Parts: sequence; structure tokens; C-alpha cells
Amino acid sequence: MTRLAIEGLTKKFGDVVAVQTLDLAIDDHEFISLLGPSGCGKTTTLRCIAGFEQPSAGRITFDGTDIVDRLPEDRNIGMVFQNYALFPHMTVRENLGFGLEMRKTPAAERRSRIDRVLATVQLGGLGDRYPRQLSGGQQQRVALARAIVIEPAILLLDEPLANLDAKLREEMRFFIRTLQQEVGITTVYVTHDQGEAMVMSDRIVVMFDGAVHQIGAPTDIYDRPATRAVASFIGQSNFIAAEVRGRDGDGLYRLESGLGALTSRFSGSLEAGQKVELLLRPEAIELTGDGAGGNVNLVTAELRERYFLGNTLACRLKVADGSMLAAQAPPWLDLDVGQSIGCRFAPERTWLIPR
Amino acid sequence: MADPAVSETVNRPLADPRKPHATFLLILPTLGILIAFLLFPYLNMIVMSFRTPSTSDVFAPGYTIGNYLEILFDEDFYYLEILLNTLLLGAMTTAICLLLGFPVAYHLARSRSRVTTLLYAFVLSPLLVGVVVRCYGWIIILANNEGLINATLRDLGLVETFLPLMYNMTGVTIGLVHIFLPFMILPLTGAIQSIDPALEEAARSLGASRLTSILRVVLPLSLPGIQAGTILVFVLTISSYVIPVLLGGFNVVIMPTLVVQQLLDAMLWPFGAALAFVLALAGTIVVWIYLLLTNRLMRGVAR
Repeated sequence: MTRLAIEGLTKKFGDVVAVQTLDLAIDDHEFISLLGPSGCGKTTTLRCIAGFEQPSAGRITFDGTDIVDRLPEDRNIGMVFQNYALFPHMTVRENLGFGLEMRKTPAAERRSRIDRVLATVQLGGLGDRYPRQLSGGQQQRVALARAIVIEPAILLLDEPLANLDAKLREEMRFFIRTLQQEVGITTVYVTHDQGEAMVMSDRIVVMFDGAVHQIGAPTDIYDRPATRAVASFIGQSNFIAAEVRGRDGDGLYRLESGLGALTSRFSGSLEAGQKVELLLRPEAIELTGDGAGGNVNLVTAELRERYFLGNTLACRLKVADGSMLAAQAPPWLDLDVGQSIGCRFAPERTWLIPR
Repeated sequence: MADPAVSETVNRPLADPRKPHATFLLILPTLGILIAFLLFPYLNMIVMSFRTPSTSDVFAPGYTIGNYLEILFDEDFYYLEILLNTLLLGAMTTAICLLLGFPVAYHLARSRSRVTTLLYAFVLSPLLVGVVVRCYGWIIILANNEGLINATLRDLGLVETFLPLMYNMTGVTIGLVHIFLPFMILPLTGAIQSIDPALEEAARSLGASRLTSILRVVLPLSLPGIQAGTILVFVLTISSYVIPVLLGGFNVVIMPTLVVQQLLDAMLWPFGAALAFVLALAGTIVVWIYLLLTNRLMRGVAR
């Protein structure tokens, strides 16, 4: 098992900078996701680790050994491709055996390892099928099995769920995460799907335009985003422009905004007068209806739209300065469009993003 | 992989169920040309091959299988030997074209460089100049005494007289390979282009060297292109006339030159027709056996 370290990784294609001085240390057994919109450099980073792209600058080390000058075949990686890249002219067993054959594993051991991995991915009876005779989800699991049967130092996954239908995608998230935990393999996962990244990762690297915006656990990324881009890419968010008035005890700041005086939690240090944006997640807004229960962060709003989504009511609220807020309410709440309601949000559930 | 139901819809021919004959009408012109100028002459040739030869006329009255008996049971197996040489020349040319063509096709299929367009032009260039002109070009290079190669070698003192590069099978093979190479490269390029480059990356991530990934993944998956290219080159080679005549002279006798000899010089039309039919039949049988063998190899490749 392997610690992976990336130091100052830069990749340029001509004048275009795909990845800009990326630093990342991945622990043994850790599951890291590279998350970002398409073209953010996440796949390029993965391909640099795999050896399919040559970095313009920087080091990539496996357990301290620089592997930048090694060919892909000498890096001992397992890779799962977006379209699975199964060898169509080989059966499932032959696909799995390919990497073992390249490693000159004896035939008997090859057989038993293939059997074991096929059982792990629940494809026991399908070893003699050709890839085209399998469903998308089965092909996906063969691709995973092929990558882990060689017991690689690092497992790399390039949007492996993108081609599956929604329901299967949901299942496969948990499947991959459980598998990774069982095998205990250091994993780098590339995705543009925040849900996938949240469910599976120990830590998430959020990238935009070749630059890392934040590295952190899913809760850090969601509750304490470092930049506005991170906040708006992950989950739904309301941003309220505000100005810092002063510090109010333990990690709380007093603010002045178009909605009046507000209070928000923030761990960094801010000067009075500094312009910030208050991040308010829709589910952090509590629709009190009558305005009872304290007046910290209490604003009145007019309910403009409401949509029943089964487990929640999605609401659009118009607030004092004329802007709209997205909010979520329990579905049993009896709300009428046009009605004026009080909404409150706890300072502990908001966050500040310096402008 | 696509849902089978979806791909069925996509693959359904564009036929209008209300006008079942519309498709037929579209192929009618081609069909007409094929019947008039291929099928009919072929039948005519087969009939001719069973006619009685005549020295004074195109053919004498009556029918015979004597022409075929002479080809098959000649004392020295003269005709069968020429047939065998023709097929061997075809196999040799095809094999060389495949060996030379595969790397070029791979490069053409995988390169994203602008130079590729230029390379395409080079690959197609043999088709842009008439075959006779190209053969004379090769004569200038290969000729025995004053040819470019032999003159240079002699001036350098490397040979005393000359290397036999022309008026033999070597010269004919060189010419055939040069002229028929595009027919190998083009189908191969198409086949390789349709192979997902991620497959090669997958092979390399699993520990295969670049060469191994090409041999184990690209080569087997390009078999449909290899099949098309080899059959094209083989068929073109065994029926070629101009190149063997110009580069082989009278020393190289293969079936097409023999057929023309019989028809034009000896004026033995029935015998020439029989020879031509034997060649066509032998070629068909070889291609058929080859198809059976390669189809077996390709069982895994078919999508």
C-alpha cells in the first residue's frame, strides 16, 4: 500500500495551463476525489499520476520514490476508465488475466486470484462471457476487478460511473467505497458529481481552471467552503453580500447587510469593514411562520414559489433588499404563495466567504 | 455498451414500409451495370472456355472440356506451376504490404498532428499517377545496367556487374507492393481508428509495453481491416498485368500475362478463357478459405 505525494505539479498544453502547481499528499488507504467541472484539470492530474501525460513541472512520488520518469506500465497502477476500456476480444477472465500475465504470475495463482476477485465484485458465474454480453453495471465491475486483481500500488478511477443510469450509479458509489475499504487501497477518484465525491471520499480536492480551491473532508467542503466557487459548485447556496462590523465572541462575526444586522460563524480572521459574502444553505433556513423563537438572524420574507419534492418543500423567498433566497421546508408545512413569513438561520449553520 | 433495443433501432435500414421497392430502385442502376458489364461478359467467357479451339477462326463449332484437361493434366504441370507462382506472388505481395502498411496505418489512425494530412497524400500518391508511368519510374531505378541503384553500386565498387533487381520476381514484387500498398493502408487505418485508444492505455496500465499493447490489443481488434486489406491486395495482385509485364519482361510468366499471350499472340480464345476462369476460380477458393480461417480468429472481435 502506498502514500502518494504530488508536489508542484504543473501541466501545460501549449499555452494552456491545465494544472497549475498542484500540491497533494494522499495517505495510505485514503480515498481522495478530484472534483470539479469539466476542463478543471482533474483528469489531466489523474493522467499525470498514471503516466499517460508528462508533467511540465513537479514531482509525483509513490512512497517517496519519484515516478515521473517511469512509463505507465512500470508504475504498478490500477486504472478504471470512463468507458471501462474492457478488451472486447477477450472474455472476462482473459481481461482479468491480462495484467497478471504481464506480471508473469504463474497460471495456477492467476486462476485463484481471478476467482477471488470475481467473487468480490459478485461476477462469479460470468468469467467466460465477452464484455459485450454484459450489462453496463457488470462491465463496470469487470473494469474494477481488472484494476484490483493486479494488486496495484494506487487505484485510479476516471469518472467510472458517468455512463451508468442514475439508480445503478447510486448503488455503485457504495459498492466502490466498500470495496476500497475491504481492499484497503490508496485511491484517486475523478468526478464532476459532488454526490459521488461526498459519499465515497475521505477527502475531496475541489479544482477550478487547473487550480486547487480547497482540499478537505466532505463536511469541510460543504460547511466551510474556502471560495465562492466551491460553495456554489457543491450543493445549493444563497449568498448574502455583507460587511463585517466586528467580532462577537467565539468565532462569530457581526455583519451589516441588505437584510439588516446578521451574525455568522467563521474560523478565519476578518477586519471590521471587510466585505464578505454570507453563505446560507437552503436547509439552514428555518421557516418559522410566526417569527417566534429569538431574533438573531431573523428576517421577514415573502413566499414567492413553492414546489413539493416529496421529502421536502423547495421554496423561493423574496427578502427585504429584493433578492431571492432558496429555502427548504418540511413538506407538511402549510404555506401559501404570497404569504409573509419569518425565516431564521442559526449563526452556526452559516459561513463567510471573504470577497 | 448500448442497450440492444436502442442499437436495433439505430441499425434498422432507412426503408419506408409503404414503398417496399424504393430501396430496390436505388440499387437498380448499379445492378444494371454489373449485369451488363460483369456478369454477362463472365458468362460469355465461361461459355468461350468450353468451345473448341481453331487456328483459323476465333473458335470452331462444338463444345469440349479439352481446354481444362490440358491446363490440369499437362505433362510438366506447366500451367499449374504458373498458377501456383501467381498465387505465391499474391501471397508474398500481400504479406509485405501488411508488414509495411500496419505501422503506417497505425500512425495515420493515432496521430493528431497536422503532418498527418501530408502523410495521407504520400500514402495515396501511388494512386494519383498512372500505373505505366510509375512502372517506368521503377525501371529507371531498378534497371540492370544503367538503373539508379545498380549504377550507384557499381560506381561505389560494391558490385562488379549488377544486382538482378528487374526482369524477375523481385522487380515485379517491388512494383506491386508500391502500387497496391494504399489498398492495404486505407482499410487498416479505418479499422485502427475505430479502436478506442483507451484500450491501449488500459493495457499499459496493466503492465504491457507499448509494443505488447499493440500486438495484444490493437492487432487482434484490427483484424476486420487486415482481412479487407489483404483480400484487396491479393486479388489485385493475382490479376495484375501491366506491372508484371513492364517490370518482369518475358522472364516472369504469371497467369494474367499467360492469358493475354493466349488471347492476343496465339489467338487461342477458348484456351485463354479457360486459363482466365481457372485463375478466377483458384483466387476465389483461396479467398474463401482465407475468410473461413480469419473469421474464426475474429470470433471475439465482432461487435
